[in-house]
Amino acid sequence: MTKKAYKKGFNLIETYPVKFAKTIVFVKHNGPAVNYSFSFPDKKVEHIIVNLCPTEPWALPNRAILRNRTHDFLNKLETVREEYFPDSHCHVVVNHQESNLINELNQYKAGTDRIYPSTKEEYLHLHTMEPVYPYDAPVLIVKNILGLDIAFGQNTIEHSILLLDPQDVTGIFEHYIKKSEFNTRLIPISGTGLKDNKILKVKPGTPIKSMLELYVRTDIKYRVFLDGLLNGTEVKDLNQKINWSTKNIVVIEERDYKTPFHYIRTKELHFTTSLMGELRCCVYCNFCDDICPVNLEPALYWHCYDRGEKHKAHLYALEKCIECGLCSFTCPSKLELLQVIRECKLLK
Amino acid sequence: MKKTFKNIETILNKSLNGIETFIQSHPKVNFLFGALFEATDGLIRSTKDTAKNPPYIRRGMDAKQYMGGILTALFFGWVVPAIYFYGFMCVVPKLIVSFVVGVFIIDVIWVILAREERINEGGFVTCLFIPAFLPPQAPLWLIGVGAGISILFRNILGGVGHNLVNPALFGRLLLTICFPTMVVSGWQEPSTGIPTIKSLMYGVDAVTHATPLMAFKETGKTASFLSLMFGANTGSLGETCRIALIITGIWLCVKRIANWRIPVAYLGSVFVLSAIFSLMVGKTAAPPIFQLLSGGLIFAAFFMATDPITTTYSQAGKWIFGIGCGLITVVIRNFTSIPEGIMYAILLMNLLSVPIQTIILKIKYRT
Ligand code: SF4
Ligand code: SF4
Repeated sequence: MTKKAYKKGFNLIETYPVKFAKTIVFVKHNGPAVNYSFSFPDKKVEHIIVNLCPTEPWALPNRAILRNRTHDFLNKLETVREEYFPDSHCHVVVNHQESNLINELNQYKAGTDRIYPSTKEEYLHLHTMEPVYPYDAPVLIVKNILGLDIAFGQNTIEHSILLLDPQDVTGIFEHYIKKSEFNTRLIPISGTGLKDNKILKVKPGTPIKSMLELYVRTDIKYRVFLDGLLNGTEVKDLNQKINWSTKNIVVIEERDYKTPFHYIRTKELHFTTSLMGELRCCVYCNFCDDICPVNLEPALYWHCYDRGEKHKAHLYALEKCIECGLCSFTCPSKLELLQVIRECKLLK
Repeated sequence: MKKTFKNIETILNKSLNGIETFIQSHPKVNFLFGALFEATDGLIRSTKDTAKNPPYIRRGMDAKQYMGGILTALFFGWVVPAIYFYGFMCVVPKLIVSFVVGVFIIDVIWVILAREERINEGGFVTCLFIPAFLPPQAPLWLIGVGAGISILFRNILGGVGHNLVNPALFGRLLLTICFPTMVVSGWQEPSTGIPTIKSLMYGVDAVTHATPLMAFKETGKTASFLSLMFGANTGSLGETCRIALIITGIWLCVKRIANWRIPVAYLGSVFVLSAIFSLMVGKTAAPPIFQLLSGGLIFAAFFMATDPITTTYSQAGKWIFGIGCGLITVVIRNFTSIPEGIMYAILLMNLLSVPIQTIILKIKYRT
């Protein structure tokens, strides 16, 4: 079933292994909370894609969502489809290495106890994917599963595709169909700035500070990031509240001092904010175009930028860039390629 | 053991921090030595820069490791074999002269004068190239001049990342122009067999011989491939032990420091073209395998042509670059009176890489 419409990318999970504690911890919060709501698309949905294969190590692992009850989850998904998106196809994407999960899904599909058996044709589809960043980015996942080209930043609904967060499947099911109370969201917190990697159960509206205070290390400086380190945002004010679209929080050590003999102690610098090197000129090493998931040549943008010709960057298919940040991540000269790309994009 | 190391480290760290604050608080000292300190400090400690823009983590590979990889490969590719074949006393003084003149004199003066932030490790690479493509008996001053010219030339063009042609080859070109006889004489018979302390120190007694390529031009005889492969033949200091060069070169390609397309295109095109030429003109053209294994071709294909800054950025361009180098090399070797064409081939293709890159981009993005 694996067909590959793209290549390259980077296996972050291997490079930065993150292990979460088994138990899910509930965070108390007495202040105002935000009620769950899902904005249903106003267009007809033909395809629903549910991704159960996170490609970032700090993302919510799927066992926290499935909790060994894959069957229940699929039931919910089918109910949601039947109620709100009839006639649509459901695509469930799983990691190609998780053979148990794949088996369960296949058994479910073949089973006779489905509430909504497919009458005419099968509408539940199983897809496998390598957990390589950023294969779950909207542009790439749609391309891989449906073979459609969508532009970066475009809402997939325009192509009648709904990318559904697994937590929203539960959310819609509980809140809209069961009309029961649904007011917590699972937020994984991880990183070198924490004593322990945890999965927290939080009411949206909780300030980040009160989520982290029990777990941060006090002996070091740290910085807090929302929704991943590669293209997420930095949290400057810890009173910021999380909301229903927050995916994860990563806290990593701020290594803003010099480390002697760093070349034999790379472990210490690994997974910190350190640049791991100094800013240089581009050495044309081709690392950036080797890693780019959409086959661009990011160094070209940097050269345009460096010559002061930002507008020329548009000549080199700039609009195809999905802003995954891998080019800056890998550049040995530590150039801020993602920043350059964003600046060039602004200059339309 | 670990504890003493930790202590030394703390003291070192403290004193370096002390020097840093001292330098930065005295503008005059900073003006003269600030850059120099930064450069030395950069070799001992990591930077304190942190990621200010997304992505907030970066991969561990940096320009220093990149250059370090090339230096390691060069060390095992030619320095170690050369010590075996020509003796310690032949190789090491040359390296010392090259480094002292290139890095410690020209680069340091440049850093102070031009207020560059740091001494680039690229200088070490360039200086490691200089003795490698000169004959084993080249005088030390020649190496010094070569290293000086190369580093000066590189710095004038703006340092690593801006050079148009390979600075080491450019230095060699100037040496060829200024001292034409020096760079093509002084070949020495390598010592082979079980090394003795004496041979490891001084090599065998100097016997001046022509290189296999020159011999071929004169007599039409090719040397045995095995001796060419393992280095039991005359040639420049660094280019004779081809087997070591091939192994380290492949290691570089696997590490993706060198782009595999260039050696493949270069060596492949030399092989194919010389096969065609020897079919066409018969005996006067050297046979393909001899072409591959003679002269500095292996060395150049893996280490000099792959210098990323002076080739094209596009991957497709690298094929064209490699094939172009191969074509020019074969043509020069077979149809001119110059026995060795590699230097000219690479320098010319370095210049041509600019238009090649432009054309490739036009084809790729504007049609
Ligand atoms: S990774 Fe960085 S140094 Fe290498 S080619 Fe790309 S921009 Fe240049
Ligand atoms: S150019 Fe864009 S898509 Fe390609 S690696 Fe860089 S950020 Fe990702």
